[in-house]
Amino acid sequence: MGGKPACTLGEVKNRADLIIYWGGNPAECHPRHFTKYTLTPKGKFTPNGRKDRTMVLVDIRETPSARAADIFLQIRPGRDFEVLTALRAIIKDQPVDPERVAQTGLTLDQLRDLAGRMKRARFGVMFFGMGLTMTRGKYMNSSAILTLAAELNAFTKFIAMPMRGHGNVTGADTVLRWTTGYPFGVCFNRGYPRYNPGEFSTIDLLVRGDVDAVLVVGADPAATMPQPAIEHLKRVPTIVLDPKVSTTMRIARVGILTAATGISAGGTVYRMDEVPIPLRPALRSPYPTDEEVLRRIRQTLAARTDE
Amino acid sequence: MGRAMLRIQGGKVYDPVHGLDGVRRDVCVADGRIVADVSGGRVIDATGMVVLPGGVDIHTHIAGAAINFAREMIPEDHRRAVALTRTPVRRAGIGGVTPSTFATGYMYASMGWTTIFEAAVPVLTAKHTHEELRDTPIVDKGCYLLIGNNEIVMDLLEAEDYERARHVVAWLVWAAKAYGLKAVNPGGVAAWKWGQNVKGLFEPVPGYQRVTPARLIAALAQIAEDLSLPHPLHLHCNQLGLPGNFATTLETMKLLEGRRAHLAHLQFHAYGGEDWSTFRSEAPRIAEYLNDHPNLTADAGAILFGDTVTVTADGPWQYLLYQLTGHKWGNMDIENETGCGIVPYAYRERSLVNAVQWAVGLELLLLVQDPWRIFLTTDHPNGGAFWRYPEIIRLLMDADYRRERLKALSPKVLKRIVLPDIDREYTLSEIVIITSAGPARALGLSQKGHLGVGADADIVIYDEHPDPGRMFGRPRYVIKAGEVVVEDGEIQKTVSGREFIVRPAYDETIEAFLQPLFEHYYTVSFANYPVELERIHSAEVYSWEEAVRQ
Repeated sequence: MGGKPACTLGEVKNRADLIIYWGGNPAECHPRHFTKYTLTPKGKFTPNGRKDRTMVLVDIRETPSARAADIFLQIRPGRDFEVLTALRAIIKDQPVDPERVAQTGLTLDQLRDLAGRMKRARFGVMFFGMGLTMTRGKYMNSSAILTLAAELNAFTKFIAMPMRGHGNVTGADTVLRWTTGYPFGVCFNRGYPRYNPGEFSTIDLLVRGDVDAVLVVGADPAATMPQPAIEHLKRVPTIVLDPKVSTTMRIARVGILTAATGISAGGTVYRMDEVPIPLRPALRSPYPTDEEVLRRIRQTLAARTDE
Repeated sequence: MGRAMLRIQGGKVYDPVHGLDGVRRDVCVADGRIVADVSGGRVIDATGMVVLPGGVDIHTHIAGAAINFAREMIPEDHRRAVALTRTPVRRAGIGGVTPSTFATGYMYASMGWTTIFEAAVPVLTAKHTHEELRDTPIVDKGCYLLIGNNEIVMDLLEAEDYERARHVVAWLVWAAKAYGLKAVNPGGVAAWKWGQNVKGLFEPVPGYQRVTPARLIAALAQIAEDLSLPHPLHLHCNQLGLPGNFATTLETMKLLEGRRAHLAHLQFHAYGGEDWSTFRSEAPRIAEYLNDHPNLTADAGAILFGDTVTVTADGPWQYLLYQLTGHKWGNMDIENETGCGIVPYAYRERSLVNAVQWAVGLELLLLVQDPWRIFLTTDHPNGGAFWRYPEIIRLLMDADYRRERLKALSPKVLKRIVLPDIDREYTLSEIVIITSAGPARALGLSQKGHLGVGADADIVIYDEHPDPGRMFGRPRYVIKAGEVVVEDGEIQKTVSGREFIVRPAYDETIEAFLQPLFEHYYTVSFANYPVELERIHSAEVYSWEEAVRQ
């Protein structure tokens, strides 16, 4: 079984000489990643910055991130799992069928070259994006890349971590874990936390029409979720807290504008590597913070229950 | 404070600090502390019951990035765990081997433990640890800063700049809002950043010429003393878990001669044999050394059979455990400071190694003569969940029960352990020492671990029962800071505990030295690095700068 070999981003800055982005486009989606953490910074054991590092990009199309890469490997859509599995075999000197490799859009030589670089690296890291985790194979792809990284530790130091984004999603996941034991998809309808992705995850609940009210905080599901989920958001009372009029707020029964976190509201965000960062607001907002609105809703509800 | 007064009357009081060994007397409480007498207020009739100071856990993993990583790794355990449903006085949660934070507070309190110390905190993620500690109700708490693999400190020791290293360590303790210093596999976790480990105590750490584990240990123990920290260096020795590691443990203890230190989860460091097939107990030799050296204290880190998850900063050991077991493996290296590994694990009675480990934990507790220097822990959750402490108490107090349990072990195991030859049975007073009075003293918490006038009114009352496992499993009353929080084993009221923090003396100009290094090595800004004091609710700060001046 694999695992989750991870590190904080400073380890990458200080040590990584092989950086692989897989199914992600950091140049456009995480524009500070190259300069703050992975490519250009001069770290403790990477004194020459970019010159000390090799970057590989694995993706289905040549995104702007390819310009930053030393090696770009373009694979056919939906073939990530096969490529990862072939790499796992190659690093262990197991035979691999070149014809099946060819179906992935890459050649066996390309994979051997990559596997060799992985094993020779002093400190290798793979960052994987939604091009891997949300395409054919989904969590099996995540499992494959994490297992590959775990197995590479038999040869050298190797890390794999997801390129998370969307505001403070890592913070939400972190707090839910310490309060309930689970990272997302938690159901309280029996009075204690239960977890079952597919049953209690948001899209599934909405598509099945299982919920009769929705509170959305700092997210814009109507912009990204499938149409049947959006239809249900329109059917039930949906309340949205957001610093701007989002797509979801437009279809919601109630929209409350709140102060923008990090600009006019303080708090703590968890970076993608789970390092907590305090936020100090630079501006004042005429709007209340999310926290204040939620607290007032809760107080009002509690007062009504008491009556 | 105006909290209600309370009189506990008719109970048999066990308070080893004051030499009370089952003496029938009243215990009075006002404003959250023990007082000589009260008039009025609630009266608890404790006839037929025993009255003890609340338990103190000197080494547990209950808050922060590492245990929260473990929670993420084992949803399968949560599913079979005890579910805590929401009531008017408590929040929902789950139990199991990594309880959610609120459940952790309720479960410790429901067992009679009222003070707990999180044993492993990096500065970089200390904000997270304190957030979780704040969400751990009822109990008082504190945490130890991981310092044994801090590269800035190691670089200073390489340059033989002990003086500056001391100021940096002091600054870091305050930055983390920690209570003490913890070293885990000193040098080994730093080596793991390149996929390596240290070999022995006297070979340099990879990347260094002068810094060896031995030098690190000696320097850090000295720093803890020079800073007048209330708790000495809290040490997780090198070579944890490995056959034959008792030799390293003995060498480490010799290095510490003339200095105070606390040896964490000693069970994991007391093994003989050359490999897994010749694995055996060396508890008698470790216990003998400890008996002769009063500068040292230790906690047991006993194991219990069953499923759990291992959580430690000892990254290289966890990688080995992953390879040995083939279970899931989580790893989290923290830039410049430390590491972390997670591997779910099951201790099996039929496994020779696990059976020896089970015996070693008990042997250490029984062979160390002075109960003031060995404390009850399971290194939660590594050896077993904290809520299983009553099982260990029964094994310590009842030699017949121990013999019964030994019958289940293979005869091969019996040749490798000494437990069958030990007849000692703990008295109730001795149990109070290893679970409360002793750890409180080792922590320098003079208001904990006893029932004298002025002590915090953290009191646990059990129905007297011939089976200590049953007795300790379900207190009749638990009183925290003078408030009755548990009755008949059930939470009645949720109060919030305090956090103990130490502010050691340091030269303020150390920040000018640290900031440029920091900007080079780290990925968060220097201003965002320390934990803000405002983040902590009910902080109780021990300023040792002032203590030394007075």
